[in-house]
Amino acid sequence: MIIGTVNKRILTLALAGGVGLLAGCKSLQNDVNVPLPYYANQLVAECYLQNGAIPRLTITESVPYLDDGQAIAAGSQVLALSNGQTVQLPTDVTVTLTLPGGRPLPLRYSPGVDKATGKYYTHVGTTPLVAQAGQQFGLDAQDKRGRHLTGTTIVPTFIRIDSTQYKYNALTGVNKKAYFVTKWTDPGATRDFYRLMLHKGKPANNSETDNLVDDRLFNGQSYSQVTTYRFVPGDTVTATLYHLDSLYYDFRVSVRNARNANGNPFAQPSSIHSNVQGGLGIFTVLVSDQRTVYLK
Amino acid sequence: MIRDALLRNFILISVLLATFPRWGWAQAQHVLSGVVRGSDGGVLPGASVAVPALGLGTATEADGHYKLSLPEGAQQVVVSFVGYTSQTLSVNLHRSQQHSFTLAAAASELGEVVVRGEQTLKEKLQTTQMGVEHLSIREAKLLPALFGEVDILKTLQLKPGVQSGGEGSSGLFVRGGSADQNLVLVDNVLVYNPNHLFGLFSVFNSDAVQSVDLYKSGFPAQFGGRLSSVVDVKLREGDREKFVTTGGIGLISSRLSFEGPIKKGKGSFIVSGRRTYFDVFTRALNRVNANKEDYTPIPDYYFYDFNAKANYTLGEKDQLFFTGYLGRDVFGFTSPNGFQAAFTWGNTLGALRWQHVFSPRLTANTSASITSYKYNLGNSIDQFSFNLGSTILDYTARTDFDYVPNDRHTIKFGALVTAHNFGVGRLQRNSQDNSLNVNSDVNYLGQEAGLYASDNIKVNDKFQTELGLRLSGFQSGTDHFAGLEPRAAARYSLSDKVALKASYALMYQYVHLVSNSGASLPTDIWYPSRLSVKPERSQQVSSGVSFLLGDGKFLLTDEVYYKWANNQIDFKDGAQIFANNNLDTQFLFGRGWAYGNELYLEKKTGKTTGWIGYTLAWTKRNFPPQLGTSGINNGQDFYPNYDRRHNLNIVVIHQLNTRLSLTASFVYTSGAPTTLPLGRFATQDIYQGGIQAVPVYPDRNSYRMIPYHRLDLGLVYKLRPTRIGGDRDLTFSIYNAYNRRNAYFIYFEQTRDKATDQVTGYRAQQVSLFPFIPSVTYNFKF
Repeated sequence: MIIGTVNKRILTLALAGGVGLLAGCKSLQNDVNVPLPYYANQLVAECYLQNGAIPRLTITESVPYLDDGQAIAAGSQVLALSNGQTVQLPTDVTVTLTLPGGRPLPLRYSPGVDKATGKYYTHVGTTPLVAQAGQQFGLDAQDKRGRHLTGTTIVPTFIRIDSTQYKYNALTGVNKKAYFVTKWTDPGATRDFYRLMLHKGKPANNSETDNLVDDRLFNGQSYSQVTTYRFVPGDTVTATLYHLDSLYYDFRVSVRNARNANGNPFAQPSSIHSNVQGGLGIFTVLVSDQRTVYLK
Repeated sequence: MIRDALLRNFILISVLLATFPRWGWAQAQHVLSGVVRGSDGGVLPGASVAVPALGLGTATEADGHYKLSLPEGAQQVVVSFVGYTSQTLSVNLHRSQQHSFTLAAAASELGEVVVRGEQTLKEKLQTTQMGVEHLSIREAKLLPALFGEVDILKTLQLKPGVQSGGEGSSGLFVRGGSADQNLVLVDNVLVYNPNHLFGLFSVFNSDAVQSVDLYKSGFPAQFGGRLSSVVDVKLREGDREKFVTTGGIGLISSRLSFEGPIKKGKGSFIVSGRRTYFDVFTRALNRVNANKEDYTPIPDYYFYDFNAKANYTLGEKDQLFFTGYLGRDVFGFTSPNGFQAAFTWGNTLGALRWQHVFSPRLTANTSASITSYKYNLGNSIDQFSFNLGSTILDYTARTDFDYVPNDRHTIKFGALVTAHNFGVGRLQRNSQDNSLNVNSDVNYLGQEAGLYASDNIKVNDKFQTELGLRLSGFQSGTDHFAGLEPRAAARYSLSDKVALKASYALMYQYVHLVSNSGASLPTDIWYPSRLSVKPERSQQVSSGVSFLLGDGKFLLTDEVYYKWANNQIDFKDGAQIFANNNLDTQFLFGRGWAYGNELYLEKKTGKTTGWIGYTLAWTKRNFPPQLGTSGINNGQDFYPNYDRRHNLNIVVIHQLNTRLSLTASFVYTSGAPTTLPLGRFATQDIYQGGIQAVPVYPDRNSYRMIPYHRLDLGLVYKLRPTRIGGDRDLTFSIYNAYNRRNAYFIYFEQTRDKATDQVTGYRAQQVSLFPFIPSVTYNFKF
């Protein structure tokens, strides 16, 4: 999507100016009892394979929005996170990856935390994967309750970041801030989708900006993604450019729209566009380029 | 081929309608015609022109004109209008002739509170037209309003069959139609976006408006191009005798109008302006907090609009009229670190109309007009700039004829052509060093035409019918469409106090609003019919019965309707509507239908006036699987978010004395359908940045919020005149008098332990928009 964070922010500010200022008053919010109809829990896969990395993925379970009990009653474990949030983990799911060429690769159920990324996982492989552009991987996950989730994905090509740059405004003191530009060149022969994340410090933390971009309007040209004035002297900025397949792009857009719709009366709720069948979630291979810049 | 056949039939029917009047005509008839004005020179729509001895009469049109066919000989013509002194004219008719009237304002004790510009209830009973609501601005000005901002569209929402889009919204949803299916006209010129501030206020300045007619069914043949309603707004004409200044100072905006004669007795003008001043306060707040490190400045927002109208009598048979409007919403943001953004949107329109009276029997109105709506969103950082916008610009020429061959027929016929320019999407993202150069500009042209004829036939004293036919067509590039739109209405009087009515109308809509939101947003785009986007079509049948009760003081009406529509438009999930060269591929097409019953009791005279309306209605949509999608709700029927099962409105205006009037309005509606997530799942994303809950929305609008109800109270106090004279009043309003927390939307959030900030669960939160809001407005006229 070419309309970046800056412009979404303007629209959001405009909407907030019209309605949010009036609705923002806490006294205009109150708890309400919402009897939701029955919702059938589904398996949820979240799997980001990477070339040279041991495959790790999480299989969780979707639950009724206001009730965790349904998953627990059916035998799922509850993983309590450090912030008190809970995630439902079905314990009886068998997962098999299908490697390029068709060889099955069973993954072991061994819930844990990846020390390098801090991410939770439920199933893990034993050796690093080899993934080259154009190769196809498959996913098969099934539990003893008859739920069966499958998916396939193709490894995207590598797109290089051409350059990064930053520039300060003319102000001083706390108002001295820089914008950051990430530039790359889009291949002309294909329809391409990107995700550009900028992080301050280690990329394991929350990103400063996170843009989904499609090449609809700059196919085959160079393109620059520009931030607002938001970085200060001394920041270390890491730009990571992911080249996505269209299904992962659709999934991210639908997740963003679904989350935005919860609390935004102007938004039209979106269903989740998963690239797996028999459940929800995403199965993809990450291909990215990364640049780190220290702002003097 | 089919179009040729349709055209031939249309011409044939038109000719038949034109010749039909001669049948059964015995005594020599002549037409008395002219204009009825008030003493300030302004026209009086809805005034009664009658010959009581013959039981014949008519009401003036929206432009104050009347035509009354009378038998040859001496006649006593009585012209009356509530709030004005009646006039009687003795006339000896040997040929058709013109006579205009100027009525003096009555010094009755009812004074200003009298609802002027209204048909009497008896006239309403006797008219063929059904499903129409007339509202004068005087009535709207008396009623309580949000922030004291008089809004004629919001007042229309108090009529049966009309829903608002949500709390405070001026959007109209008429008999199951969506907001873009209303034909909103100002002096016969189309307004594309009749809203300011995301729909919270309409674009109509109360000082500039004379009245509005809302047609919900039985659409007269001169109207076309939208499926669900016609909102026919007439602007006020300036005073022909003296210069007058009118204005008001309110909580959020002020108004000022100036009017007077161009040349005494020959013509007049009126110019009106209005501007909000939120920005004055927010700028002051920003200045006070400018040095606080974590303070985020509040963006600037204001809107303004200008109206102008002029009329000039060229001669006995010719008159010229000019109408103009310019309105803009302006949103600006400048951050302390140099980032700037601006977002503007609004309508511009202008029209020049020439009225020529060929004879007392035949009048023509010919006009040329222009209307446009555009938005522009732009920002810049250093050498980088971004701009997003959309425009629609129309040029229209139309001519309308009114012909009264005898006392049995009133014929209207005419034609219009419109050249549309759709600037569907313009996007520019550039840098001065050319390192970024992204441009998109999607434009279409379209031509729309309409040709119509109708005849209101008075078969006998009991039975009257109006038959009409409209041929409409649209072309965009090589794609073209045409449609025949029959219209019919009939009234049968069981007695002089009971009338049965029925109507049928078929409508086509060739331009579509591309809106991927439940609300009317300024970024919504108008899009032409094309090969892959067929014209929307609706048909409606309705019938009703009206009773005149209490010696003509009350009119009780009950109407039932059934409407069905094809080629309704919605969007795929996650549709990309900005600057998309293939926007067609984002649409989904379906059908809709609506049915209901409207019960309406109104009282227009006496110290206490008002109405009670109750509507029982259903509105449904169906979008089957298509274009690789599962449609909407997997092809199952669903209720759009403006569906309301029950709607009760009670409006009371009470004149305590010549200086004080009290008003109250009460609204009750069933809860609005809304889409809530039934499930959620957790996602970590690529990096472990905290697990997020993602809502899962299986069905659209499967949940209903709590019922909506609200009481508003108002008081208008006329102040004593100052030494220099003039009228002044203070208008007090209380919106939501018992502080009901109506649901605007519902969302789910995590609950957390206050001490540890640990997530303890999830809960639903209901957000209300407007609590108890008192306001006062000072109005003046001198």
